[in-house]
Amino acid sequence: MSKFLAIVSREWRAYFLSPLAYVILAAFLVMNGMIFAAIIAFLNTPGAPKGQALPFLFTNTYFWIFNLFVVPIITMRLFAEERKAGTIETLLTSPVSETTVVLGKFVGALGFFLTLWAPTLVYVWILRSQTPIDLGPVAAGYLAITMIGAYFLSIGIFASTLTKNQIVAAILGFAMLIPVFSAGLLETLSNDPGKRETFGYFNLWDHMEEFSRGVVDTRRVVYYLSATAFFLFLTTVSLTAKKESP
Amino acid sequence: MIEVEHLTKSFPGRVAVSDVTFRVEPGEIVGFLGPNGAGKTTAMRCLTGFLPPSEGTARVAGFDVVTHSMKARAHLGYLPESAALYPEMRVRDYLAYRARLEGLRGTDVGKRVDEAIASCLLEEVAGRKVENLSRGYRQRTALAGALVHQPPVLILDEPTVGLDPAQIIRIRETIRRLGSERAVLLSTHILPEVDAVCDRVLIIDRGRIVAEGTAAELRTRLAGAPVVRVALTGAVAAREALAALPGVAAVSEEVADGETRVRLECEAGADPREDVFRTAVAKGWILRELARESLSLEDVFVQLTRHEDAAPAAEGSTPLEAAGEGVPS
Repeated sequence: MSKFLAIVSREWRAYFLSPLAYVILAAFLVMNGMIFAAIIAFLNTPGAPKGQALPFLFTNTYFWIFNLFVVPIITMRLFAEERKAGTIETLLTSPVSETTVVLGKFVGALGFFLTLWAPTLVYVWILRSQTPIDLGPVAAGYLAITMIGAYFLSIGIFASTLTKNQIVAAILGFAMLIPVFSAGLLETLSNDPGKRETFGYFNLWDHMEEFSRGVVDTRRVVYYLSATAFFLFLTTVSLTAKKESP
Repeated sequence: MIEVEHLTKSFPGRVAVSDVTFRVEPGEIVGFLGPNGAGKTTAMRCLTGFLPPSEGTARVAGFDVVTHSMKARAHLGYLPESAALYPEMRVRDYLAYRARLEGLRGTDVGKRVDEAIASCLLEEVAGRKVENLSRGYRQRTALAGALVHQPPVLILDEPTVGLDPAQIIRIRETIRRLGSERAVLLSTHILPEVDAVCDRVLIIDRGRIVAEGTAAELRTRLAGAPVVRVALTGAVAAREALAALPGVAAVSEEVADGETRVRLECEAGADPREDVFRTAVAKGWILRELARESLSLEDVFVQLTRHEDAAPAAEGSTPLEAAGEGVPS
């Protein structure tokens, strides 16, 4: 366990030792600042329904664009950098299992992802002082962010084991996230109820709207957690296979 | 401590390590010597569990590196050839991270890190970022990382590469000190290093061990007939008198720069130097030089790793074969 925590802490801190983290953080805060301004503008509109504003924080287009682009950038270095530099050799010859390494890096990256989101709690606090806010949907929204973030990060980490080149890892990660994200959007293109239901199961956009209304559907939770576990498993397999061919 | 039996590692299309067998005991420093691409790094990677062996077994501290990989890894410290580090980390933080990965906790971490910093002479740079260090300091930081948990087995792939001569001497001292109670396997292509540090040498070439023994043993085994070199002042007809000495098989003589240089090829085990001296005294020759030629480790190495394509020779007569006699198979 202490070895796992050593990896988590090193990975989380490594982000803040590179300029990339601050660029992402700054971009993220600019984006969310704009959304927050839009929420305030909405609230200032006469006749705006009270308590309906906050879901915008989670269900806008920027949210998805940001996640699709930024998650692969967060994860690209995790294994590609170690393989390029050769530090993977000391890491994998330490008495630490591949699974521990993968989970440690995953949790470290998830920690950074959540650190990006942490400042948005201030918005909740500010809005709460001005307008009634039901905290249930807010909690559900953050839960969804954590789970969808974990899902996307697991795909990005897998992509990072496939190459030594960080940029290639980021592009691969992005290329894998696009179908995962857009499969669900096919729901809107289909008239067949069976297909609609199938695609709906993968429709992250709609899921997010449900969560931000405070609906925590266990089918969604099962989908995210099992998909995350699946990609982390693939990552471990890929890492072990890479040992065979240096 | 390190036991390797019939280890073979093949990659698609080539065999990197072929049927290698050797042991390293505690308190012993063994040098792994070979030209580039001979299979040193691959063999070491198999030992550390980074690469699975294709055939054969390897045990570290009694634990098989495949079936008891975790325990084997817990007993070894490994400095890879790349000596790769995380550039954004500070030296002390990096060593603490390595110590925690090895399972150390709490106050032990700081204590062991301090000891590693002291033994690898890193005090001056302990608080600096790795990316701002010179090559020599990085190499030493990587070495400190390999031994921070004080493992009973050390596997060091070219530990002194990139160091200046003063640093090399101090790191060799460190390795010697560590080797007094541990099993150390170090690879190098720097021959004087083997003489300076290692108790025993394994010469590996094209994936096979071609010779094994102490540096002195290898020299004697390959030196063939001993040669004694004599230089006398002036032009002296020394050939006949010297050829008559017991143990001398052949004599060649040349006169140059006002001195007579004689080369005596002797029978195996013979040492006619004292007889040469007495003869010179009796004959009134002025002796300028009297020396027995010994093969340098470079010569041994070159002879052993000379390939057929470079020096075409009949199979049975290559030095490679001659040296192979002493290799356990």
